[in-house]
Amino acid sequence: MSAATQPKRRHSIGAPRWLGYAFVLPLMLWLAATILVPLAQSVLLSFQNVRIIGTPGEFVGFANYTRLFESERFWEAFGRSLIWVLGNAVLQTILAFATALILKQRFPGQKVARIWIILSWIVPTVVVVVIWRWLLSASGGIVNYALVALGITAEPIGFFSSGDSAFASVIAINSWRWFPFQAVILLAALQRIPAELYEAASVDGASTTQKFLNITLPGLQSVLFVMGLIGTLMSFNVFDVIWLLTAGGPSAATTTLPVLIYDTGFRQFRLSQAAAISVVTGVFLLVFALVFMRFAAPPSDDGEEERI
Amino acid sequence: MFRRNTLMILVLAFTLIIGVLPATAQDPVEVTLWHMEQPPHRVERIQMLMDEFNAANPDVVVSQEPQNWGEIYTKAPAAVAAGNAPEMLFAIPDFTPILKDLGKLQNVADFVGTLNEAHSFYPAAVAPYSYDEGVWAVPLYNMVHSLWFRNSVFEAAGITPPTTWDEWLAAAEALTTDGQYGIGVPANRQLYTDQTIYNLMINSGADEIYNSDGTLRFANDATVSAYDFYSQLYQFSPPDSPNWTWGEAEACFANRTCAMIMQFTVITTYDTQAEGDAEDLGVVAIPAAEGAENPGAISYVNGVMFLTDDPAKLEASQRFIAWLMEPENYGRFLNMEPGLFLPVTEDGAAAESFWNDPLVVKYRSQVETMVANSASGRLFGFTNGNTFPSISAISAQNLLAQTLQLIVIDGQAAGDAVAEGQSLMEEAISG
Amino acid sequence: MSLVMRRTLLGVAIALLMFLVIAPFYWIFTSSIKLPPEIIASTPTLFPRSFTTQHYDNLLGGSPFLSYMGNSLLVALGTMIITVILSTLAAYGLYRLRFPGRRLLFRVILITYAFPGVLLLIPLYGLLSDIKLIDTLWALIVVDITLAAPFATWMLQAFFRTIPMELEEAAALDGATRLGVIVRILLPLAAPGVASIAIFAFITSWTEYMFASVLIISDANRTLPVGLAGIIGQYQIDWGLLMAGATMTTLPVLLLFALVGRSFVEGLTAGAVK
Repeated sequence: MSAATQPKRRHSIGAPRWLGYAFVLPLMLWLAATILVPLAQSVLLSFQNVRIIGTPGEFVGFANYTRLFESERFWEAFGRSLIWVLGNAVLQTILAFATALILKQRFPGQKVARIWIILSWIVPTVVVVVIWRWLLSASGGIVNYALVALGITAEPIGFFSSGDSAFASVIAINSWRWFPFQAVILLAALQRIPAELYEAASVDGASTTQKFLNITLPGLQSVLFVMGLIGTLMSFNVFDVIWLLTAGGPSAATTTLPVLIYDTGFRQFRLSQAAAISVVTGVFLLVFALVFMRFAAPPSDDGEEERI
Repeated sequence: MFRRNTLMILVLAFTLIIGVLPATAQDPVEVTLWHMEQPPHRVERIQMLMDEFNAANPDVVVSQEPQNWGEIYTKAPAAVAAGNAPEMLFAIPDFTPILKDLGKLQNVADFVGTLNEAHSFYPAAVAPYSYDEGVWAVPLYNMVHSLWFRNSVFEAAGITPPTTWDEWLAAAEALTTDGQYGIGVPANRQLYTDQTIYNLMINSGADEIYNSDGTLRFANDATVSAYDFYSQLYQFSPPDSPNWTWGEAEACFANRTCAMIMQFTVITTYDTQAEGDAEDLGVVAIPAAEGAENPGAISYVNGVMFLTDDPAKLEASQRFIAWLMEPENYGRFLNMEPGLFLPVTEDGAAAESFWNDPLVVKYRSQVETMVANSASGRLFGFTNGNTFPSISAISAQNLLAQTLQLIVIDGQAAGDAVAEGQSLMEEAISG
Repeated sequence: MSLVMRRTLLGVAIALLMFLVIAPFYWIFTSSIKLPPEIIASTPTLFPRSFTTQHYDNLLGGSPFLSYMGNSLLVALGTMIITVILSTLAAYGLYRLRFPGRRLLFRVILITYAFPGVLLLIPLYGLLSDIKLIDTLWALIVVDITLAAPFATWMLQAFFRTIPMELEEAAALDGATRLGVIVRILLPLAAPGVASIAIFAFITSWTEYMFASVLIISDANRTLPVGLAGIIGQYQIDWGLLMAGATMTTLPVLLLFALVGRSFVEGLTAGAVK
């Protein structure tokens, strides 16, 4: 092609501005069509009084929002969602960090372990749910059998019987599903930290803790930022594991906001009300994301060469 | 070369003619049935019947799409709204008002009348679908709860099958031994729990949720005593029962962890996953409180709704259903799950095709008990002709079960919980 | 800490870790080959005492399981291909080119995860229905790409950033077009990364449940997670069938990972600065 043979040095930095937009455009269009348009419709819906999908509704202004903010169930679900995110974040971060650090070591079978650690992430949620309901059952479940046989508990435990233990169980199961994936991402980031840095620090007599604080954490900053952001957003919006395990129960103890949205829209048949909850949830997460980006974004996020 | 070309032209011409011919003749009417009988063997049985019908009716093609109960409440309204609803959709009574609101549901009063003359519906089967001056589904099959146990386990404990609540509670207590729970009762916020608690409401005289004017009468002493008794039985239930659906209850019974359960049937599970000794499997009506006037058990009359106003499609759909109700076909239809689905017509209850299934032959006395129990079966919100469509909102949210959770999970007193339950229901049915 | 103790501790940690992840699958698999009474026995058996293939026979012969699996594979492959194209293009633009608003765009892409999937369900049903995609595998591909592409784009940054610009410049000097540079120079270097996002997209699609349960109507187009949920059934659960179904659902991704799992993990780590 003749354009390419022109004598001017062409490279990325000298590329015409529109070219950058052109490359990003297809993805942006796709996301706009599948997220922005439905989102706009949801906002519209939230100002009406549609109950069942397909039935006509009237414009009711902010009535759904007023009702929402006065509703105890909404605030309880909101609080539970925060605990849910926090619980998952703490548990998954600890497990993922530990796993990444272990897998970074050299040991026989390291490669195999690095591949198969991911097993719990690659199976469908439905299978995860089947597995854990079955394992935790009080009549014939192996976990309870082991607990009783080892003398840890006298009676089988009903993991989903009380609100607190159901919530804890669902958080644990969701974390079980996601921590290996995060571990592998972390592992990848750990590998990217130049070994020379550690060697140089060792020469200077730095302790393990110092190395972790001064080399490891800064090296992971960019990854931790994105995982903190996306991880929080995705975790906040987890629906299927909770729904399939407990349907939000017992006694609404595991009803987080996404579960409340589904319950309101498709079991109480208040679609507009559900849309209002969704919009509030979306706005809240948006604000969170903006704040997070403002204060937690590493300098490298702006796309400059991050290291070297 | 020439010959090959000629051949090609001949083949082409032939395909064209073949392709055009059927189009010029009358196209068969295609109709689709959505149902929630998703286990593979039920799908297979329905397909077998459809194939037979299609062969005998060349101008109609009936096909099926199995759906999941868990999603149908989302999916069916969405499909109707988007204009791709099926012509026929299976229903339970509380599902019909939701679709009726969407304006596509056909009144089938005349069609049910015709079928009634031929087969005689049990009146209780048609009642839950009759309201707002219409009949909104054709009843197809019934399911009713009974109390299941093992005769040998009762004998070993020296007790007889309970008929009163005192006997029942005593039995549950006596049967709770090392490694065995007296009775398995669920407390999930889920349909199964709605069913088991309503069993007790029926048998304490609290089967009416509505007054005849459509206001709620859920909060009353009879309801409170039902909930109170349930929480007493619950003490003798396994610790994970708050998370149960039907399957866990059956597994608990099959592996002898639970001595008694309330369920539509345990026959298939008992026969394939447990010892399968027909002599030992006991079944009785749900025990009633002393002095309860009209004992019974929860029953679900499943029916089929018609969602098309196209005359040809409607006629084809109804011809298929009429064919299905013929005694020689009807029994085979019910026995897609032998020992679970019960007849809703008099000639169906006598049909040889129903009673000659091998599993029904083996468990004949149990099935006879179930059929007998179905005579006094009823469903909350659809009792004594007091049918109010707003019950859909109550059942879709499982408010009966939610009220129970207030007691057994949150530790409220039965009276307070039932009062709160009624206010939850009032909120649910309000505009 | 002595070397021996370190080794032992590491060994214990690895064993615990692998047990945590793998033991549940062992339990599902062994259950699937037990006879029904043993599956639901109140005293569980760690090693099967009975052996049967009846659950697999039922699953493969009596249910449309293979059709579900075929659909899942098609959707996952479709999602994978389109996600790779969209994300690679976007990542190239975001991480190798300079233009105003780049940082903002990158953030906008990440923020798409802020909106609950439940919220999008109903409007998307309407939209897909308008363009006649309801009850087609395309409907799921469309949605799954939206779920996978933003994160996939980010995953590529490590690769695109570590490939020296000089390589591109040299190629450009040799007269290659920009697309030529991408295809011939960048992609081979970023290949492990592209493989990683391909697998990520595949898995995202393979495990998706909520949209698949509502957007697909006919049994013939159903995917594995939803088909499996259907097998669970309403009033009766055939536990053996369920366990066999769970095992068989895991199998294809096991095979996939046995073949390309190494490139997923190494792909992610390949951007390592040496």
